[in-house]
Amino acid sequence: MNYALETIGLTHYYSKGTPQQVAAISDVNLKIEKGELVGIIGHTGSGKSTLISHFNGLLKPDSGKVLVNGVDIHKDKETLRNTRFKVGLCFQYPEYQLFEETVYKDIAFGPKNMKLSDEEIKERVFKAAAFVGVKKEHLNQSPFDLSGGEKRRVAIAGVMSMEPEILIFDEPAAGLDPRGRKDLIELIKEYRKQTGSTVIVVSHSMEDIACMADRVVVINNSTVAMQGSVDEVFSRSEELRSMGLNVPEITEIFAKLRAKGIDVPANVYTVEQGAEILRRLASGRCAE
Amino acid sequence: MIRDITIGQYYPGKSLLHKMDPRMKLILTFAIIIVIFLCKNFFSLGIIAVTAVLAAILSRVPLKMILKSLKPIVIILIFTAVLNIFYTQGGDTWFEWKFIKLTEKGVFTAIFTMVRIVSLVTISSLLTYTTTPTMLTDAIERVLSPLKIFKIKVHTLAMMMTLALRFIPTLIEEIDRIMNAQKARGADLETGGIIQRAKALVPIFIPLMVSSFRRAYELAFAMTCRCYTGGEGRTRMKQMKLKIIDFFALVACIAITAGIIVLNHFFEAVI
Repeated sequence: MNYALETIGLTHYYSKGTPQQVAAISDVNLKIEKGELVGIIGHTGSGKSTLISHFNGLLKPDSGKVLVNGVDIHKDKETLRNTRFKVGLCFQYPEYQLFEETVYKDIAFGPKNMKLSDEEIKERVFKAAAFVGVKKEHLNQSPFDLSGGEKRRVAIAGVMSMEPEILIFDEPAAGLDPRGRKDLIELIKEYRKQTGSTVIVVSHSMEDIACMADRVVVINNSTVAMQGSVDEVFSRSEELRSMGLNVPEITEIFAKLRAKGIDVPANVYTVEQGAEILRRLASGRCAE
Repeated sequence: MIRDITIGQYYPGKSLLHKMDPRMKLILTFAIIIVIFLCKNFFSLGIIAVTAVLAAILSRVPLKMILKSLKPIVIILIFTAVLNIFYTQGGDTWFEWKFIKLTEKGVFTAIFTMVRIVSLVTISSLLTYTTTPTMLTDAIERVLSPLKIFKIKVHTLAMMMTLALRFIPTLIEEIDRIMNAQKARGADLETGGIIQRAKALVPIFIPLMVSSFRRAYELAFAMTCRCYTGGEGRTRMKQMKLKIIDFFALVACIAITAGIIVLNHFFEAVI
């Protein structure tokens, strides 16, 4: 079986051929299965953004390959162009890419570039807008009249409307308030559940990754430093710290509780999990 | 790619030209440019050409960089040369074939114009090679400051120029980012006819405009917060001082001008 996305020895240099040449990413080997939700973490400048720009062919690797469904995306021009639609990439602060007169037209930009029929475009726009929670009456408004959170939703709908097989988010929740953050995470989870697409999320927030990813990839010093389930990665807190990363806050609280001699599990990664355990613990004490 | 565009082509160095007062450099460059147009024959033009070469050597800017600044004008050079060769007629005829006629005067005029343009561009690009954009705007502000008498806000103009220069790299970065975002949505920027390509730029420039306005508001706000009120009573960290070398340069320029006027007088004019 082919992987949804696979990279083989992916390497990219910046300022190639000059004395300042640096490897932005070097020898990255990743295998992402169909339908997986993968979280990519790494500190600023570790090469995360460069890496995901290779996934839809915006950047061309200096060596190595990117395979989508087993096909090299740089095989020919046609393949490359189709990859843009197969692999949807939603950049950081996507609201800054809005440009059309109306929300409808902006969401339709992607499908229109795919040369779909008008009916199909309409169908997709309504579907994507409904999914992200953009109200129908907003569709005829200018996107610039919306609030920040709504703009972001419109921009995300603009990528979703292409119905990509793989959807990549770069810091989707950056700059949102806690509520907006939570809603967006739920939205991404729901999207995966409904469409069964592969989803890749890049984030600084360990909490966000912990509560949605099936698998976590840690990027450090331009290459893959660790990968595995949420459990496997976040249990290695010392290593993560040495890379300038951290474990979710709740995990740290539980580690401190354990250090004080309270018998709680170490593998707690989401607040919900933690709350549940504490509740049980409290009710147990009361029973005594 | 788009990142390769360099505006403000400062070449870092410690040569005599780098050390000159930017005000003097600015004024003298303008003076020389005017003088270039005073030249009437090859002898006076020769002085200018020698000056340009000497200045280039003094600046220690590599020849490659100077040639790079001449690259954009190659087409203009060829165009003017061809026009001059065929439209200026006179003197001996060297070559004739159907409607093409090469005459002594035509060829001389063409060479003369080309040397003139090359010297002009070399000298003016040496100014930007040896002066940072900030120093240059500072110098412009100081040189234009007499215009205050006419109620022209020179400081504001200079500040606008500084800010514009400051934001060029930021905007280039922004364009890059927006281009990638639109390409990710399947925008096709590379193929199609000229109209199609112009249309393809709309999704790039509208977000760029929007974010530029946002940036401008934010910047104005930040400047107000730091009590910026304009040029009134503002002092500067880097004071400009005229040094001996500046007076040397001034004397040299006066000598060049005098030489050219004398040579113009004694020899027959080409143009």
